[in-house]
Amino acid sequence: MSHELLKIENLQVGVEDKVILDGLNLKICEGETHVLMGPNGAGKSTLGYAIMGHPQYTVNEGSIVFDGEDITQEPTDVRARKGIFLSFQSPEEVPGIALGNFLRVSQAAVTGKEPRILAFQKEMRKTMETLGIDPGYAARYLNVGFSGGEKKKSEILQMLMLNPKLAILDETDSGLDVDAVKIVSRGIRQYRSDKNALLIITHNAKILEGLSVDYVHVLVNGKIIRTGDSSLIQEIGERGFQFLETGGAQN
Amino acid sequence: MNMTLKQVNALPVRTWNWLGVNGTPLEGDVPESFPRAEGKITLPDSVSSAAHPFEGAGIIRTGMGPEAERFVLKKKNAGYDLEAGPGVKAEGPVFIEYRLGPSCPALADCNTILARENSELTVVMQYASDGEGPVFHGGVTKILAEKNAVVHLIQVQLLNDSAVHFDDVGILTREGAFVEVIHAELGGSKAFAGCKARLEGRRSRLGTETIYLGENSRELDMNYVAEHIGRETESEMHANGALMDESQKIYRGTIDFQLGASRSVGHESEYTLLFSPNVRNRTAPLILCNEEDVEGQHAASIGKIDPHKLFYLMTRGLSEAEAKRIVIEAQFTPALEKIPSEELRQTVLEWLKERMDRNETIG
Amino acid sequence: MRSFEQKKTQVDDIDRSMYDFKDKVNASFEVKSGLTPEIVNQISVEKNDPEWMRLFRLKSLKIYNEMPLPSWGPPLDGLDIGHIVTYVRPNTEMRSKWSDVPDDIKNTFERLGIPQAERLSLAGVGAQYDSEVVYHNVRAEVAAQGVVYTDIESAMHGKYAEMVRKHFMKLVPPTDHKFAALHGAVWSGGSFVYVPPGVSVTIPLQSYFRLNAPGAGQFEHTLIIVDKGAYLHFIEGCSAPKYNVANLHAGCVELFVGENARMRYSTIENWSKNMYNLNTKRARVEKGGAIEWVSGSFGSNTSCLYPMSVLQGEGARAEFTGITFAGKGQNLDNGAKVLHLAPHTSSRVSTKSISKGGGCCTYRSSVVIAPQADHCKSSVSCESLMLDSESRSDTIPVMDIRNDEADVGHEAKIGRISDTAIFYLMSRGLSEDDARSIIVSGFAEPISRELPMEYAVEMNNLIKLEMSGSIG
Repeated sequence: MSHELLKIENLQVGVEDKVILDGLNLKICEGETHVLMGPNGAGKSTLGYAIMGHPQYTVNEGSIVFDGEDITQEPTDVRARKGIFLSFQSPEEVPGIALGNFLRVSQAAVTGKEPRILAFQKEMRKTMETLGIDPGYAARYLNVGFSGGEKKKSEILQMLMLNPKLAILDETDSGLDVDAVKIVSRGIRQYRSDKNALLIITHNAKILEGLSVDYVHVLVNGKIIRTGDSSLIQEIGERGFQFLETGGAQN
Repeated sequence: MNMTLKQVNALPVRTWNWLGVNGTPLEGDVPESFPRAEGKITLPDSVSSAAHPFEGAGIIRTGMGPEAERFVLKKKNAGYDLEAGPGVKAEGPVFIEYRLGPSCPALADCNTILARENSELTVVMQYASDGEGPVFHGGVTKILAEKNAVVHLIQVQLLNDSAVHFDDVGILTREGAFVEVIHAELGGSKAFAGCKARLEGRRSRLGTETIYLGENSRELDMNYVAEHIGRETESEMHANGALMDESQKIYRGTIDFQLGASRSVGHESEYTLLFSPNVRNRTAPLILCNEEDVEGQHAASIGKIDPHKLFYLMTRGLSEAEAKRIVIEAQFTPALEKIPSEELRQTVLEWLKERMDRNETIG
Repeated sequence: MRSFEQKKTQVDDIDRSMYDFKDKVNASFEVKSGLTPEIVNQISVEKNDPEWMRLFRLKSLKIYNEMPLPSWGPPLDGLDIGHIVTYVRPNTEMRSKWSDVPDDIKNTFERLGIPQAERLSLAGVGAQYDSEVVYHNVRAEVAAQGVVYTDIESAMHGKYAEMVRKHFMKLVPPTDHKFAALHGAVWSGGSFVYVPPGVSVTIPLQSYFRLNAPGAGQFEHTLIIVDKGAYLHFIEGCSAPKYNVANLHAGCVELFVGENARMRYSTIENWSKNMYNLNTKRARVEKGGAIEWVSGSFGSNTSCLYPMSVLQGEGARAEFTGITFAGKGQNLDNGAKVLHLAPHTSSRVSTKSISKGGGCCTYRSSVVIAPQADHCKSSVSCESLMLDSESRSDTIPVMDIRNDEADVGHEAKIGRISDTAIFYLMSRGLSEDDARSIIVSGFAEPISRELPMEYAVEMNNLIKLEMSGSIG
């Protein structure tokens, strides 16, 4: 039984007055790749935000335990330093800070030590090359004026440079053309190892091609109503989500 | 008799005096006494005309300021106090029309509009003149929009070139209310307008749409202030105009976020087209802020019509004059569309067309 | 014997006439400000002024006494207007000792890593830090290019005397406002720079070199003339707080930019938090010339800074990039003024302001396009960041356009740091404070990138300090 990284129990999460996740349970171990699917508005992104500790989302009930520690009340940066990474669906544009500088500051914050400049730059250039990102982007302001696809690649670049224990990818494939999807897929595969885990949130299966998926969860109305293996993806692709909703919960 | 108002349209925060926008004196020749004036009013059944202003009208502050208000009150010779009862959605607009001229050379109208909870009403006030002789109009309108009420006030001024005119509005909104003010300042030798709204109730909103036309040596002077007091209040203040001949204009638009108005949003914009080398345009778009959690924005753009736009229209067969007219009309359209009377809209469009046709600087 | 007596009488006569002059005209002046023509005369004599300057000072004093204080802007209550003379002639007791320097100033020196030697000078305690050596070296280097870089007082005698006289306070006349008049009467110290035609000065000149010159800072006058086709970058101020017991700074900067010449004037200002900074800066740009202002304003209790660009010649250009950061107890009323007097001139003003901890930032500007200025272009953009609700941020821009061939655009924005931006940065491991600090630095970046690196680094350090609230 491999090491348990993430354990979510009976989680209820709301934003303002609305309850979005209602009694959600999830367990992710080292070396696993999980996929979370579901219709729009089901609460998939909310799960990502809740795990990361977004201030506008309140946990009303339940707990989130990461690597043996209860992080339910911890601030976002503490969670990041423990080794959780969230790739955003719509990454923020932050003017005035160059991408390259930001990567270095972030790496220092997460690893706890200042990376050596030359080694860092070499690593960054190499990673950018794998992802097909023009090296000139290192000097551009963080996400400012980036196209949808460029923003997503920027997120994967950050993931590779920060090397988290658990990477949550929220709709990483949306807005990408066929070539970009291939590149991002490659980046994800490069990241994957026995020591880390992946939670891919998507409602479109293209990004999953070439990835070996261990568990597929279906989120409907704030609860995971079905968990299966990778064959569930094809089933959903053929029959949609409706059949599962009427079929009842099965875990 | 000489009317001298020392300062109207005061800028909420003073700046360098030499710019001349801190406030403006308003002078005019007015008759000693103002004979009772009769406007033509069309009143829908559901809207009542009260005998006196609503309680608290006196405390509501206006855009032009207390001096202008006092003058109109002193000389008052017309006006209506309108009320829409709770839940009343007026079946049609209230139309009030005044014609100034030799038989009615001076008008000082004091109006109040009370929109009770959940009511909705539209009031259109139209000021026109007969002949070319000097006439005077000064008007003050106070609006109280109670919870979730909606009020649209449209004031259209089409006075002759020797008229002295001002429209002064003061507004107070309660929770969830929405008040919209449309000002069309298209005539007169002096056309002044002011509007101040105190957005007290949570989630209440203000919209102002002002259009103005400067011709000959017209003096246009405007002051719009949105005071955000309550939480989640919104304001949208827009002005569009064209200046020709030797006209001049001052437009002041202030978004004032006061402490406590969190989650409030204010937008302001002004677009001015200039058509003659002898015009003078002054713009003062202010944002005052004492509250962190707000969003405020303003944009102003002053200059000639975009030559690319003109060229494009001309390649479609229009003459330069026709193309310019189309562009100006397009500027005025958002405000004109809010006039709930096809007839009045047409009157305004014809007024504009006539003036642009005979104006050398355009055509 | 007799001739001896006669001589004595003559001397008496002269004395008496001076006395008379004082009686007739000055009695009321003395009551008002304590600043008398006698004192001004004394200053003039001490400085070895040419006669025209002495008369100029006296005329300015008269204007000062007749002018009212401005009716707009931040309150000037902390200024002892009734005893202006104390700012001009502080008595020796007023000169500070290191032990009197406020702790927060000392702490800031510590945090900004200011060398020990400089601290005394910056604190107005004494002239122990000798920047003279650096100054002399720079002078020699640029002199090789034909550049004159000297103090104004000595420039008033000798080769450049006539040039100084022709330009002195012509751009900012004493009648401009009350503190310009005060400046005209009691100005002291400052730099005079002349760049000959076609010369591009390779190193930026810095007023910092002359920090400890007598009377430095307070009523300093900077006069810079950049002749046809030349280029100069002048840097004023420094990020280290400058402290002075006499808390008024009424300096004046006049920049004359010749045809096709270019001048860049950068300022980082961090006067101590008791100061009233009422500096007047103005540039006049001739045909084809350009003035670029870069400004970082962090200090003072109250400031009124509106660098003004007068675009005199056809095709002249002005650019202003600035940031103002008002923290607790500060009321910083800053902005820019542009006057388009000739055709085809252009201006771009881009400012940012940050208000924190009860600070009050006001952006105040004017853009005027004169009737004869055809085909001008102007764009103004100001962005304000509110960091909490104790603070204030006001934007008061005014445009006065008297020509229809103008193209003028203006936009302003105000808001707070977005929660999502903070969340995003925190999700990358930064603490909340660091996330805010980075966002604010990013906000200030368009200004810091225009500064030479050491100043940009200093400015970023200042921002970090201000954000952590550890500057008093």
